[in-house]
Amino acid sequence: MPGRPTVIGEEPVPTDSSDQRAEDQGVQEETPEQRTARFERDAMPLLDQLYAAALRMTRNPADAEDLVQETYLKAYGAFASFRAGTNLRAWLYRILTNTYINGYRKRQRQPVAQPTEEITDWQLAQAAQHTSAGLRSAEMDALDQLPDSDVKDALSQLAEDFRMAVYLADVEGFAYKEIAEIMGTPIGTVMSRLHRGRKQLRDMLTGVARERGFLRDAEVAS
Amino acid sequence: MSCGDPHDTDCSEVLAELWLFLDNECDHQRGELLRRHLDECGPCLVEFGLEEHLKALLARKCGGDHAPDALRHRLRTSIREIMLRQAVLGAEVIVQQDNDGSIVEVSTTVESHAWLSTES
Repeated sequence: MPGRPTVIGEEPVPTDSSDQRAEDQGVQEETPEQRTARFERDAMPLLDQLYAAALRMTRNPADAEDLVQETYLKAYGAFASFRAGTNLRAWLYRILTNTYINGYRKRQRQPVAQPTEEITDWQLAQAAQHTSAGLRSAEMDALDQLPDSDVKDALSQLAEDFRMAVYLADVEGFAYKEIAEIMGTPIGTVMSRLHRGRKQLRDMLTGVARERGFLRDAEVAS
Repeated sequence: MSCGDPHDTDCSEVLAELWLFLDNECDHQRGELLRRHLDECGPCLVEFGLEEHLKALLARKCGGDHAPDALRHRLRTSIREIMLRQAVLGAEVIVQQDNDGSIVEVSTTVESHAWLSTES
């Protein structure tokens, strides 16, 4: 909706039956106490998930806390307009993303990584080719040996838009349509970010596995 | 590019759509076509397995962080304070605070809400 100052998840997001509760229907007579109870019951249990996403966005626990706090207070303030039966999780993620992009990111000291959308043609070409099964299974075994911190570090090195697309799809399991709503982009853009993000991540992880000695040089020649 | 064996769907097409298939974003008909190809083409199946593996690896290793308790507590307190300001418009509110100013107990003249008492 152009021209409006702040839009925090006012548009409907896809229905998700797992988030839907029959007793959420008919909230027009809701008192502040009832609304608060509903918020505590439905939104507060998602705090860990939102915090994890904020950590991946900001890459820093103190900033993640601030971002989540701002997100939850905005969400609480707008909760009367949240329509029962829509996907609360996607709604919260959308507020989180908007809060981060519209305000928070500007205040962050860390420079924002620029998406490297144009440098990956060679990677795209590479993606459409087979390599031998032996190489692939060696790569798979090597990736399994990586500690959690290596995988998180690699994800954190992706450009922000790629990182969020990959995180929302692979860690949070959102559908492309939901990611498009959350990130405010067309589905085609989501697919492109996912494609490039995953490809870069896989190359990065393979590189780390090689550095750690889990994968010999000969095994990763492509 | 092809693995050399004849398939209804060319390998390059399948490889280009692996992620769609993996993410459950193909329609049923297309999904069946890709599934059939993967059943009969070893190299594509291996590639699919690796991508599937990577997706699962990310899910396993990049989530699961817990929000700090202090954040959770701070949020609940803030939310109740905002609610009280709203509730004041409609009903008389009695707020009891302890020495450091945090809310210990809240009740309204309309009815009391057990869930409002601050958990320690």
